[in-house]
Amino acid sequence: MKKKELDLELEKIDYRILKLLDERMELALKWKKLNGENNGDYEEQHFIDQLNKRNYGLASAQFCNQVFKSVFSESHRLQSKKFKLIGFQGDHGAYSEVAAKVWGSGLIPIPNKDFTEVFENVAAGIFDYGIVPVENSLGGVISQVNQLIINTELYVAGAVELNVHHCLLALPGSDHRELRTVYSHTQALEQCHHFLARNKLEPLPYYDTAGSAKMLSEKAPKAAAAIASKLAAEIYHLDIIKENIEDFERNITRFLIFSKEKHDITGNKCSIIFSTAHKAGTLFKVLEVFARAKLNLTRIESIPNQQGSFAFFLDFIGSDKDEKVIQTLEEVKVHTRGFRLLGCYEEKKQL
Amino acid sequence: MKNLKLAALKSHKRSVITVGQVKIGTGFTVIAGPCSVESEEQTILIAEKVRAAGADILRGGAFKPRTSPYSFQGLGLAGLKILEKASRITGLPVITEVIDPRDVSWVCEYADILQIGARNMQNFSLLKEVGRVDKPVMLKRGMYSTLAEWLNCVEYILNEGNMKVIPCERGIRTFETYTRNTLDLSAVPALKELTHLPVLVDPSHGTGKASLIESMSLAAVAAGADGLIVEVHHNPPEALSDKEQALTPPEFTRLLTKVRHLYDYMHDDPVLTGKMAVLEEK
Repeated sequence: MKKKELDLELEKIDYRILKLLDERMELALKWKKLNGENNGDYEEQHFIDQLNKRNYGLASAQFCNQVFKSVFSESHRLQSKKFKLIGFQGDHGAYSEVAAKVWGSGLIPIPNKDFTEVFENVAAGIFDYGIVPVENSLGGVISQVNQLIINTELYVAGAVELNVHHCLLALPGSDHRELRTVYSHTQALEQCHHFLARNKLEPLPYYDTAGSAKMLSEKAPKAAAAIASKLAAEIYHLDIIKENIEDFERNITRFLIFSKEKHDITGNKCSIIFSTAHKAGTLFKVLEVFARAKLNLTRIESIPNQQGSFAFFLDFIGSDKDEKVIQTLEEVKVHTRGFRLLGCYEEKKQL
Repeated sequence: MKNLKLAALKSHKRSVITVGQVKIGTGFTVIAGPCSVESEEQTILIAEKVRAAGADILRGGAFKPRTSPYSFQGLGLAGLKILEKASRITGLPVITEVIDPRDVSWVCEYADILQIGARNMQNFSLLKEVGRVDKPVMLKRGMYSTLAEWLNCVEYILNEGNMKVIPCERGIRTFETYTRNTLDLSAVPALKELTHLPVLVDPSHGTGKASLIESMSLAAVAAGADGLIVEVHHNPPEALSDKEQALTPPEFTRLLTKVRHLYDYMHDDPVLTGKMAVLEEK
């Protein structure tokens, strides 16, 4: 082994320790949200006791004692800070996390394995907010998310439109000329199809964009790269070979932010959900109400629900504090079933 | 020169090669910038200076083919990123040299024109590779090459399908040692009668001496060149490569003023443009 290789190995381990520390702190914050102020403690003392019995390995009991005591005390310090948590699907560096940062810079983004987990954790009060993508200008609606929205009792607290920019990422120090394969989510690979073809790179589908960056940094497969966000490059300590590698510049994903409580904010956009009787012209009647009130609809989506009927999603420009909007919605209720105002909120954009 | 099916002037109109707003082959195109991309700060500073002076295109080397393996080899990919940024800031298109066939597609991602240096003029695998991309290629004349050899290399690129080739005279090696190379300006009118492609001149490598560049640039205009490529550095003594032949920004501004003036004069003057007959002794 040469010095350079050893240096690299050491650096890799240090980054792994750092990542684990981050995860530990995140978990401490989630734990606090779930258990509240005076709800007992994670049994830190028990862990320390076990540690003291340890008699193998180079890291001595005394050293470990020091390390973990400072880890615990830092966790407590963070727990006392009353951070607001926002859950997103995917690993750190996901585009949802990028969008969460656009929506509120002071929030702590926490990864979740799937969309269901995001909704469940918001409902359970572990997260103050959850952020999920609802539609993409190239890929269309994200039906999995829409299914969850029909059945949720959460409120919409905000929205973000994000122009997604993909980066080609590689392990630090790797030679761009040696790259042969590229891991990423199929949608990202498709969006960079021409770029990959021009540079003779073979696309390999992976479950997630940020996940592919994470895998690259952990497993270091030979001659491989990943497509993910600039944020992912920072998080997983990867080199950006090329920014903005998407074939089409306009690639906008719209995200909705959900919360358990309805927030008293003056928004400029409303989302409603409803279904109509299975009769001719029922949806038309609803739309007519909006037309007469001169309210501008920005999105209408139909989603099949379990009962074999359809739910409609409708977004329009206006505030639920506006008298005209209040009256219009009262009228809409008459013509619909299961009407629910998901929220009135402000939409942020990073295009 | 029988084998120049695609490069020969006969049967082709004179080519104009478009790069962004710049049309090489109409008017007079000036490419300027540092020999090497040394840092982001240096490149952007020089890019802004040459744009202010009126240059059309920015040059800068990220991959440097150096005589000694111990000399500065260029910043590589990092250098390409810096060039792209300088291009975005100044709005100038960018030309940079490619020396490895494996780099061709990557250089295309960042640069607007690819350059094949004199040392690689007959690197046929590299020529074929740049022949397959959709970017203009500036092919410098090899330091020991005849015009026929040079044009055959042009033909290699054209034959692969890339019709956007710009030959550039940069001096040949002779017994003279006072200058770095001997700038062969007779190559300019010769190429203009042999090929439809625009011809550029590199007085920086052609002389290797900053003091000679202005005169040879004016001579290139008089010889009918379509443009120049000139090395400019904000602090030549500190340059990491080719410090003896780099002009300072004020020197470059003065050169460019004279060059444009001479070019305009030549294209307005009725005698020089052939609009007024030159009296010949019967």
